[in-house]
Amino acid sequence: MIRSTLTQVFTEVFEEHAGGEAPALADASVLLETGLDSLGFAILVTRLEDELGFDPFTEAADAVYPRTFGELVAFYEAHAPSLRETA
Amino acid sequence: MSDLAPLSLRERLAARDPASEVLPGVSTAALRASVEGLPAHVAGVVLRDLDPASFVRALVALDGRAESLVLAPPGTDAAVQADYAARARCAHQVATLEDLAHLPAAPGEAAPTRWVLATSGTTAAPKLVGHTLASLTRSTRTDVARGAGLRWGLLYDPTRYAGLQVVLQALLGGSTLLAPPLAAPLPERVSALARDGCTHLSATPTLWRRVLMTPASASLPLRQITLGGEIADQALLDRLSATFPEARVAHIFASTEAGVGFSVTDGKAGFPRRYLEEPPRGVALRVREGRLFVKNTRVLGAYLGEEDSTFRDAEGFVDTGDAVEVRGDRVLFLGRASGVINVGGQKVHPERVEAVLLAHPGVAAVRVGQRRSPITGALVTAEVTPAPGAAAGALKRELRAHCAALLAPHERPALVRLSGALRMSPAGKLVREVAP
Repeated sequence: MIRSTLTQVFTEVFEEHAGGEAPALADASVLLETGLDSLGFAILVTRLEDELGFDPFTEAADAVYPRTFGELVAFYEAHAPSLRETA
Repeated sequence: MSDLAPLSLRERLAARDPASEVLPGVSTAALRASVEGLPAHVAGVVLRDLDPASFVRALVALDGRAESLVLAPPGTDAAVQADYAARARCAHQVATLEDLAHLPAAPGEAAPTRWVLATSGTTAAPKLVGHTLASLTRSTRTDVARGAGLRWGLLYDPTRYAGLQVVLQALLGGSTLLAPPLAAPLPERVSALARDGCTHLSATPTLWRRVLMTPASASLPLRQITLGGEIADQALLDRLSATFPEARVAHIFASTEAGVGFSVTDGKAGFPRRYLEEPPRGVALRVREGRLFVKNTRVLGAYLGEEDSTFRDAEGFVDTGDAVEVRGDRVLFLGRASGVINVGGQKVHPERVEAVLLAHPGVAAVRVGQRRSPITGALVTAEVTPAPGAAAGALKRELRAHCAALLAPHERPALVRLSGALRMSPAGKLVREVAP
């Protein structure tokens, strides 16, 4: 669920902010090489917070900087509130 | 004032070990030899579109020879460059090292070169600010024995004040400057810095967060990390200390209005409360009504723009416009008191964004605010009341296109919310929330 939301919001933000067609994302895709700059990345994280209801960058006790799309997905999955809490 | 002309950059390089590298593979002796044979005095020169290494050579070649040196930021368009040239009375342009060899001699005697920098500003016309090598190097450390072997990385644009400080520190401190091409993607630039053994690196918090996302960052052999230009948060400071345990981490507070600055190196956000009683580096600090006021207790009257001091109070304190909070033994920065939003180091005036949104026929009222971002510090948000009859469905998309045409990327609202009515103060003014 988180992976598909990430892919969908990434595509939206990319098309709005960077322009053109969003690149296909694989686990090994390096985020900074996708063409999305830090402002675009900031917008992505904020939209995801609205979409998913949490922001792992703020919630993580330690600042974490995922480098690949796979790491980003894992980071969001690791910090997702449990289903019981959201139900 | 001394009658002796201050030494030029070229002359000051004589303090370095001739064999020491100024740039990778370029010794001090070779650099100095490469800039011999130019006329002793040339008219004003605009430096433009030079890669960082050529830019450094041009600075060394022309300081003390050219009347003025205008440092045009990369990508400055031709009309703006022509305007810079006219305003700074420059007859020549240097875009390649070849151009240097063709500069004609000018009549008269060489005098200290006026360095002209453009202030940042993507939409408003930039102001040109004059400096001298002496004023630019006031806080440069020039102990070349201590600086030998240090390798300064340059991630900033060297035509801007912060980048130029890095260049001059490396040159005059006896160190080596690592300057990967600015146009290259950040992961490549960080890889180049890691490969070249970068020990000292300065960047804004936003840029540091991006650096930490590059695969090569973990192999940077850093010993000194500097953060400036934005608020450094605790999570980032912790992450930098954990990633680079050998490095000293310093975050800088600087007020261009007061011409002062100090750095904090204890690894904690904000600055120690005792600084309010014990001025760091001669910078007296006061907190009044939640804002930070500063006063330089040294070299009064020595700073550029000092004459423009109408905002100085009777005791000489200047309002920095930064909202602060005293919490326990720390003074923490909250953001700009005026409502100016700092998006990744770039200032956004909410009133300007509001004016653009209000120009759209579908907008009845708008309030621009900010939302905290773990990546850029803050993002611009807008709360919009649609005009009667406006198609709410299409409005968000239309506003996005409208803003894209009229605002710089960092100024465009990242989130737009449509709402009923906006809050007004009893005086009928829009209620604007101060930074959270």
